[in-house]
Formats: sequence, C-alpha cells, structure tokens
Amino acid sequence: MSKKKIKNKIQQFFLNLFFIFICFVALLPILYALILSFQSGTAALSTKMSFFSGTLTLDNYKNIIFHHPLFRWLFNSLELSVGTMIVAISCSVTSAYAFSRYRFKGRIQTLRLLLILNAFPQILTMFALFRLFKTLHLLDSKPGLVLIYAGSMCIFSILNLKGYFDTIPIEIEEASKIDGASETQLMLKIILPLAKPSIIVTAVMVLIFVWNEYLFATTFLLKDTSYTLAGGLYQLQASDYSRSWPLFTAAAILISIPILIVFFIIQKHMVSGLTSGGVKG
Amino acid sequence: MNWKRKYQPWKHTIPAFILIGAIIIFPIVYTLYISFTNMNLYHWDNYGFVGFRNYIRALFKVDSGFIEAIGTTFLWTFLNMVLQIVIAFFIALGLNAPKLKLARVYKTLLMFPWAMPAYVSILLWKVGIYNTDFGLANKLLSWFGISKIDYLSKNVPAFLSCMVLNLWMALPFMIMMFDGALQSIDQSYYESAKMDGAGFWVKTLKITVPSVKNIMMPAVLMTTFTTFKQFDIIYLLTQQKGALTGATLQTIITYVHQKAFVSNNYGLSSAVSIVVFVLIILISLFLNKGLKEEAL
Repeated sequence: MSKKKIKNKIQQFFLNLFFIFICFVALLPILYALILSFQSGTAALSTKMSFFSGTLTLDNYKNIIFHHPLFRWLFNSLELSVGTMIVAISCSVTSAYAFSRYRFKGRIQTLRLLLILNAFPQILTMFALFRLFKTLHLLDSKPGLVLIYAGSMCIFSILNLKGYFDTIPIEIEEASKIDGASETQLMLKIILPLAKPSIIVTAVMVLIFVWNEYLFATTFLLKDTSYTLAGGLYQLQASDYSRSWPLFTAAAILISIPILIVFFIIQKHMVSGLTSGGVKG
Repeated sequence: MNWKRKYQPWKHTIPAFILIGAIIIFPIVYTLYISFTNMNLYHWDNYGFVGFRNYIRALFKVDSGFIEAIGTTFLWTFLNMVLQIVIAFFIALGLNAPKLKLARVYKTLLMFPWAMPAYVSILLWKVGIYNTDFGLANKLLSWFGISKIDYLSKNVPAFLSCMVLNLWMALPFMIMMFDGALQSIDQSYYESAKMDGAGFWVKTLKITVPSVKNIMMPAVLMTTFTTFKQFDIIYLLTQQKGALTGATLQTIITYVHQKAFVSNNYGLSSAVSIVVFVLIILISLFLNKGLKEEAL
C-alpha cells in the first residue's frame, strides 16, 4: 500500500513540476517585460544573459507618464470606446429584441447573413472604407472612427444580446402587455432591466475591442494628438524602439493592467457567451 | 393592422441596419466595384474599367504571389490547429488529474497570455523575445553557447516564430475549452473502465477523446476561423511600415493589406478581397452545417 502512495507522490511531484514549467513559459514574456520596465535604459539593452542587472528604477514609468502624451492617448481611447459602446449597444439592443421575440418573414435568412458578415475580416474592405471616408472628409475624425468600430461590433452585439433575450421567459412581457404597457414602456421598464447583465458583458467586450484596436486607429487617425493608447504604443515602438524599449515596456504594462482586470472580472461570462453559440469568429 | 404586424419587427432593426449597411455592406459592394478597375495611386480619380483582369492576374499569374499566400495560409491554419488541439488537450488532461491541488492557480496563471491585449503581446515578443541583439531567445541561445539567429529575416524561421507566438496567444483559450469539456464527462465511465483494468491510453482514446469531440466542435471551428484570419501576428512581427524584417511571408489577409496600403494596387487588392470573401462564405456555409442551427 505504501509503495502505491510513494508512486502517487512522485507522480504528483512531476505533474506539479510540469505545470510550474508551463506557467513559467506562459508568463515569461510578460515577466520579462515587467522586469525590464523597472530597469534603466542601458541595462535593458545589454546583450548579457541577466535578469536583474543594475538597480531597479521607476524612471521609465515617470518618463512615460510625464514626458509622453499617455493621458492624451488614454483620453482618446476612452472617448472612442465609450462612444462606440453607446452607438453599438443602442443600435443593436432593439434589433436583438426583434430577432428574439418576433417570428417574421426573412428572419432566419437575415440572421444567417449576419453570421456570415460577422465572419468577414474587415481588413479586406479597409481600403474601400478609407476611400469612402476620405471622400466624406471623415478621416482623422473621432466620430468617423466610432462609426467604423460601432459598425464592426454591431453584428456581434446583436447576436450576443439575442442569445440572452432568448433565455428570458416571454411570460413576463405578456403579463405587462395585458396590463396595458406600450411598446416603449415595455422596452424601457421590462426588457432593458432584465437584459442588464448581458448588456453589461456585451458593452465591456465592445470596450475591450476598441481598447485593443490599433490598425484602424493608426490608418484613420493621422494626427499624433488623436492617437489612442494602442496607436500611441504602436508608434512608440515603431519609432526607433531600441532606444525607447524600456519605456515601451513600461507603457505596455500600464496599458495592459486595466484590460487584465476587466478580463478576469468578466472571464466567466466570456467563455459561456462564446460556447452557447450565436457568436462565431 | 396586418401591415403593422408585418413591418413592426423590421422597424426595430432600422438603426442597426443603417449602421451595418454603411460600415460593412457598402464597403463590400464598393470593393467589388474597385476590383473591376485599374485604380491605383496614379489613377486615383481617373481610373478605368478593366473587366476581370485583376482577378486573372491574382489567380493565374504566379508572380502576383496570391497563390503562394493561399498555400501559406492553409499551412499556417493546419499546423497551428493540430498543435493547438494536441497540446491543449494534454495540458487540460493534466489539469484534471485527480490529485492536482493547485489546478486552479495554474489555470489562472495560464490565462494571462489570453487576457493581454493581442497587439501588446505581439510587440513585446517582437522586441523582447525575437530581437536579434537583445531579445530573450538569443540570450538563451548564447547562454548555451549557440550563435545568434535572425528570427524574422527569412521566411521559414519567421513562419515558425509567428507560429510559436500564435500558440502562446491561442493556447489558453483552447485549454480552458478542453478543461470545461473534460469536466463534463461522466466519471462513472472511468470507474468501470478501471474495473476492466484499462490503462491511461486506453481510457484516453476510448472514453475521453470521443466524449470531448462533440463538445469541442464549435470552439475548434471558431478557432480555426480566427487562425485562418490571423493578421496581427504576421503584420506586426515582420511587415510594419518602415520596419520590414526581410521575411516575405504573406497570408491572404496580409496580402490584401500589403497590395492596398503598401504597393497601392487597389484594383488587385480588391479583387483578392472578393476572392477571399467568396472563400469565407463557402467555409462558413460548410462550418454552419457542422454547427447546430439552434442559435438561430
């Protein structure tokens, strides 16, 4: 009996060893960046194999916060993501409701079309959009970019919210209809409060999308005062990154922290939202 | 009254469809239009129609590079998916080993690469890991006494570097999906298999794999699609504006971007976009068949 116990102990030991190694590999690039962000510029650029060379310093963080327009970028990102959230959610909530509650001609076909359009990589039509926006003088304008982001997140939001509406029993609405509630009252007083959890999760996912988007931000916003966090970070490494590399890691860490926090809060909902169908690609 | 009933639902969808029409559908139609013209930097306004010439050039002229890009894309998708599924499966299996007390801690730690903003991870890898002079990968090599490698300057090492990064970024999601699927398996199967004296491999192949297969289908198809569409990794690692590393790796998505925004051949780029779009419709029709229709 004790022989088996020892065998189990050994097995467990190796399993734990294996997972410590795997976790180390998974975290290594992030840890490395974290360590470098606390080092002075010259130490980070040494080619020697060393993790802690020189003294730790907060200079990079001070530098990125006070000598670079980090707050300007943050403000731009916030503006864009809140704008996108409002436009995308308010456009999609009523149509999600319609697709969930009404049975009408063309419903299934439209949903199928939405699924296919949702799978379509927007990069493929980026030039057409660029030309369109140039003609309409919407380049370098935040409302223009908000429209693009809202458009690309609208289908996702419709499908996500529809999936949630499907799980709300219809009886509640019918009861209030009998009580003589109008369509608008029904929407504002009954549906929206009931759908609140899903609306919050969808809104947060829209926010993460905008926060993490760099390609459209760097293509459609040309002035450096209108850079978002993503665009700014991108520019920071694009312009001679070897010199500003510790600075860049400090910025990268600062930008990632809010996303990491939000991610771990809504992580559970994300997995269930993704597996329960409705949203693909 | 009847009229109202019929159009009531559509009324709710008007705002969304104006937005989708302007931002998603119109650009697709416009791309189709551009694909039949010779629009480029010199013909920005005075472009002319050239019929199917762009399509012929993309599909039948080897020098256009599009066929090569298709090959790269399929190889990329295939290798990534096989590795992802196999590695994620075994890691998830390990996480579900009966006596692993710290499983929750490991799971949380493993989630970090997924939680990081993708472009931040890619840029961190580009300068932190793959940089020839002070990247971690070469530091490790020199530690073992091996000479430095220029990871991103040739196609094959660049492809492999992109793949390692993609695995790092995509595995956490796959592991969590497998983990969930494994936990849904009825434990009594294993007990009766144990009674019959089945070993690890028999149990895995005869019970675990068949039970997990169907649950994992949607997640696997979805990931296949995102891998197929992957743009950021290859673009940010090897072909940023003004920071080309020398590798000429192109998938179909980066190809479209490169033709439109680098070599300014808008007609050709648009033709390729349309071809890719048709390809995507075909693939998603095929995938939707594999998925349950209940979502609708």
